[in-house]
Amino acid sequence: MTMDRRTVLGLGGVATAGVVLAPGMTLIASPQPDKTEASGDQRWAMLIDVNKCDSDCTACTKACRQENNVPLFGDPNRDIHWIRKLEIRDKEHKRPSVSLPVLCNHCEHPPCAHVCPTQATFKRKDGIVLVDKHRCIGCRYCMLACPYKARSLVYHKTTIPEDGNPKVPIRAKGVVEKCNFCVHLVDEGEKPACVQACSKEGKNAMIFGDLNDPDSEISVKVRTVKTQTIRADLGLKPHVFYEGL
Amino acid sequence: MLSNFTKIEGRSFSYWRIIILLGVLILMGAGAFIAVEVQGHGITGMNNKIAWGVPHVFAISLLVMASGALNLGSMSTVFAVKQFKQFGRFSAFLAIALLVGGLAVLMLDLGRPDRLLLTVMHMNFRSMFTLNVFLYSGFIVLCVLYLWSMFEYQQYTKVVGSAAFMWRVILTTGTGSIFGVLHAREVFHSALTAPTFVALSLSSGTAISIILLVTTFKHTKRELEDKVVFGLRNALIFFTLLVAYLLVVEKFTKMYSPAFYDVQSWILTGPYSWLYIFGVWGATILVPLGILFHPAKGNSIKGVYWAAFSAVIGTFAMVAHILLAGQAYPLNMFPGYEVSSVFLDGVSATYTPALVEFILGFGGIAITGIIYMLGIKFFRMLPDKAVAPEGYELPWNP
Repeated sequence: MTMDRRTVLGLGGVATAGVVLAPGMTLIASPQPDKTEASGDQRWAMLIDVNKCDSDCTACTKACRQENNVPLFGDPNRDIHWIRKLEIRDKEHKRPSVSLPVLCNHCEHPPCAHVCPTQATFKRKDGIVLVDKHRCIGCRYCMLACPYKARSLVYHKTTIPEDGNPKVPIRAKGVVEKCNFCVHLVDEGEKPACVQACSKEGKNAMIFGDLNDPDSEISVKVRTVKTQTIRADLGLKPHVFYEGL
Repeated sequence: MLSNFTKIEGRSFSYWRIIILLGVLILMGAGAFIAVEVQGHGITGMNNKIAWGVPHVFAISLLVMASGALNLGSMSTVFAVKQFKQFGRFSAFLAIALLVGGLAVLMLDLGRPDRLLLTVMHMNFRSMFTLNVFLYSGFIVLCVLYLWSMFEYQQYTKVVGSAAFMWRVILTTGTGSIFGVLHAREVFHSALTAPTFVALSLSSGTAISIILLVTTFKHTKRELEDKVVFGLRNALIFFTLLVAYLLVVEKFTKMYSPAFYDVQSWILTGPYSWLYIFGVWGATILVPLGILFHPAKGNSIKGVYWAAFSAVIGTFAMVAHILLAGQAYPLNMFPGYEVSSVFLDGVSATYTPALVEFILGFGGIAITGIIYMLGIKFFRMLPDKAVAPEGYELPWNP
């Protein structure tokens, strides 16, 4: 069988395209928000009492790193932080500084999900905003859209550390990831690792629970004490509340 | 005025030298892409604060110029400026070439470019990126149809050309809106960002057309009447003034409000102020206008050429400022408070681009260049001489 030049070029083009695209295609998953098992009966949220949060305590950030295999690369510009401690102080320095953890706010109207071209970022029915790392193309538009700097691109190849969590996958190079409220724990009826660690430290500064349950601790607190969310003016309806801010 | 369109010979040593140079740049760009793909974006200078770096500057600048490259075609088809009709084919073809070059850089800079097909499999119609997928592909289709009509079916040129004109305005609005809609980014969140991109596309598209026409006609020893170039000069002046106007209005509006004092003073005095002053205002606005309004330089082809050159450099600078300064300015999570953290909250981001990013960007320019060079060799894109219609006088000269 002989092939003319045009056929050879055409087949070559198809083969090249196949080689380039195949690795991505094999990883296609389709967790649409309405196809996950999460129930709309719950609306998960977090409340952080900054009065109980010490500036020298990093139990929550360490626990997050351990639970989710979140690596540190030794470069502050590229290190991945699903949760980080911030110190804030009024510009006139008239009041003492306040220490607080900041994480993904699992917004009701998440701008990251709005801008994601492949729906890799989506909000489950229970309000948890997730990233499907097999669908993320690494365009980083969500990083620009998030007002909380809660998202990080994985700049380097990562491996599960020796003391890491084998139940959670490695953070994948070339995709953007962020806090997922430890969804694997929440789905098993547990609380996120940061909340557990804060409690273990005896601080109890972080409460996690279901806002749809009127009797839950978080619902009662949100109803009865003055709380704030970060950049409420943006209208995103964040679901990480702060008390004492 | 009937134009006779011819291919260029493309047999000279200097033609093939350019082709080889562009080929080498494309190969280097491919090498840069593979290096980033294999080793990750860790080998670039980008980081978690400046997530879009130099490749995006190249890509978006080329996309903005692509829309603007259609100016000459639009001016003749939609606004009946007869002297530009002879450049209709050049205009539509250049628009395609620039768009392909820009899109190539944009796609090859993805963290996972192998998953590109997912953008058409799982569309999110709320995302400006998804809308732009349609706008870019639609633009290429319309430009191809526009070219086809100019070659074969001139009775359809008006319809297709008008559609392409409307599409390009929407397209550049879409590109500008990628930034303008992001509420959290104080530097570029504005309803005027998209119109400013449209104005920038008009000026940069005219400028790149001037550069390529003057250079191509000179090296192929074709006649390009001065009056035709000066017509483009007048258009470039108007479009540059339009960019300046929108910049001033945006700045005035924001400086009027105390809520924006911090970000505006940061733009004027912060780490990217040099880019704003010398790039955005210097190269994009003041240098071109200074040359074009000069009685001697503004009336010389050389002067117009260098003004256009400055406008093109300025376009890259302006896109770079919007992108880099826009990301470097710290997110204002707690208005009225000072913020600090191990994640460098509250401080301006730093970014040192890596060589691999420039190589990828120049690879995109080379793709545009090689499409243009091969296009004018294999298709009848250019008139064998470009003269103004008989009796035509420019309404205005500096």
